Amino acid sequence: MEVIRLNAVHKTYSDNGVPVHALRGINLSITQGEFVVIAGPSGSGKTTLLNIMGALDKPTEGSVFLEQEDVSLLSRDAIAGIRLEKLGFVFQAYNLIPVLTAMENIEFTMMLLGQDEKSRRERALEVMRELDIEELAGKRPNEMSGGQQQRVAVARAIVNNPSIILADEPTANLDSETGGNLLDLMERMNREHNLTFIFSSHDQNVIDRARRLIILRDGLIEKDEILESQKA
Amino acid sequence: MLFTIAWRNIWRNRRRSQIVMISIIVGVVAVMFNDGLSVGMIHQMLDNQIGSHVSHIQIHAKGFNDNRVVQNYIHQPEIIDRALENTRGVKTWSTRVITFGLLSSAMNSSGGLIVGVDHSREENVTSIKSSLISGRYLSGKPHEVVVGKRLADRLKVGLGDKVVGMASALNGDVGSDLFRVVGIYETVSSEFDKAYMFTSLSSAQNMLELGDNVLEYAVIVDDISQVEAITRELRRTLGGEYEVLSYIDLLPLLVAQVEMYAEMMYVIYLIIGLAMVFGIINTMLMSVFERIREFGVLMAIGMKNSYVFRMVMVEAMMLAVLGTGIGLGLGSLLLVVLNSVGINLSMFTEGLTSFGVGAIIYPRLTIDAVMSVVIIIPMTALLGSIYPALKATRLQPVNAIRYV
Repeated sequence: MEVIRLNAVHKTYSDNGVPVHALRGINLSITQGEFVVIAGPSGSGKTTLLNIMGALDKPTEGSVFLEQEDVSLLSRDAIAGIRLEKLGFVFQAYNLIPVLTAMENIEFTMMLLGQDEKSRRERALEVMRELDIEELAGKRPNEMSGGQQQRVAVARAIVNNPSIILADEPTANLDSETGGNLLDLMERMNREHNLTFIFSSHDQNVIDRARRLIILRDGLIEKDEILESQKA
Repeated sequence: MLFTIAWRNIWRNRRRSQIVMISIIVGVVAVMFNDGLSVGMIHQMLDNQIGSHVSHIQIHAKGFNDNRVVQNYIHQPEIIDRALENTRGVKTWSTRVITFGLLSSAMNSSGGLIVGVDHSREENVTSIKSSLISGRYLSGKPHEVVVGKRLADRLKVGLGDKVVGMASALNGDVGSDLFRVVGIYETVSSEFDKAYMFTSLSSAQNMLELGDNVLEYAVIVDDISQVEAITRELRRTLGGEYEVLSYIDLLPLLVAQVEMYAEMMYVIYLIIGLAMVFGIINTMLMSVFERIREFGVLMAIGMKNSYVFRMVMVEAMMLAVLGTGIGLGLGSLLLVVLNSVGINLSMFTEGLTSFGVGAIIYPRLTIDAVMSVVIIIPMTALLGSIYPALKATRLQPVNAIRYV
């Protein structure tokens, strides 16, 4: 099933009145369960593309479909609803809410969905057990290592059972061993739950794990290939 | 969880939150103190006027209040006695003869009010007996007078001295009599003390050739809040032959002043509220700007604008409620203490006694003040947090999550 489709997506920024073409006509389709890495040099448009796929940003031209729904036509609140229900985000800087414990951070998106406390707690514990981070439940972000925070961030991203997880340079602030463990975890989630993972990264460790590699250059897709070695 | 986040966010910058709360607490205490002092002062003026002479309700023959001449006497006092006895809420009353006259001693003379009172009933109606600074109260014997200290000073008389009173009698002639000072009183109103001279009812009736007739009934009710209802009932019972006037009718300026003070309090609320609004705007804006990235993340993971808005508002509300609660507690404590010990303003005694207040002010804690603070201060905080909350909702998550 197609979960994301981009039709002729352009994104142009204005830099002090000078137009900067970040994306210049991207056509792309991603199906359920893919493990995609978007790579490319700095300034190639990786993050812009990820933001547009995550409905965090709108294209200047073209359309974006998330599970067949054209998000460029939706209101700000409707888009927030789609992000809440269909997407999960893992950020480079973890971005957990500092005043909440790991458990509360994981529960937070369920709370936004209006779930009651008991079911939130049960689901959060279930995810924490699966990610082996139960012992972090009562800790606040400043009491956790970077790797631990990023695992909590992954738990937060998957707890609502979204169809797509978008991860922007998730290993950039982690050492290679911790980053490797995190990628193992994400691969397992992808395998076991058929979750779609889309990474933006120039970390070779991440690129090496890709089952589909999209290389951007100057706002255009230079290469989009299914990697044979990684095919199931 | 919204409240948990808001509560923890407040204490992220402990010092800033404490400063805002202190400013709210000071504002609340200042408002309560000012309100308590004003209400205390104005009610003291009112109580003093009621207690020294006016009483809660006065009953006269129709037209007496506009034309205070002895010819306007009450013809059938027994009708009024019966009405008062049968009216629920009436505590006690006294009968009076009152006229403007000339008071002369061997040394000086002065215009003043000669008031003949039923001494045994009058002491339950007014506070003259308890205001005596020398001598004694009226015993009911003829020719005794109790004069105000200022009047005694003006006439240069002391206890045992003679005072001649002259006033227009019922038949139109000038009635006069010789009195002897048996007591000198001093109330908190210097104007009152300059003018009023009390004698027995019979002495005044004789001087004015009134027989057994009286000019005024002074009535005290059990509950002052019922005074208007009782006045209306007495008017209905007594009909058009008599005028029944409550202290509200008799002291219109003072009552207007009470209302004016209440209005003025809203001006004070406005000034303090404005200062608070800007304090809250500043604090909450700082709080929002410090957390731009965090708001960006919250929006990115699906938090809607309305929730972001509520989150900022709840934080401001918590600060305000906490500050108001503490301020209310401190303000109430302050007013309760000051209400029992009073504030001694004797350095302004001359001015205060001219207004009939007294040198010691007893501030009052009123339900109105508490309710105003409880409603107005948190509302002000809400008002002050609207702009920062809107500012937070206008953040673009894509930019906010990268904000450094």
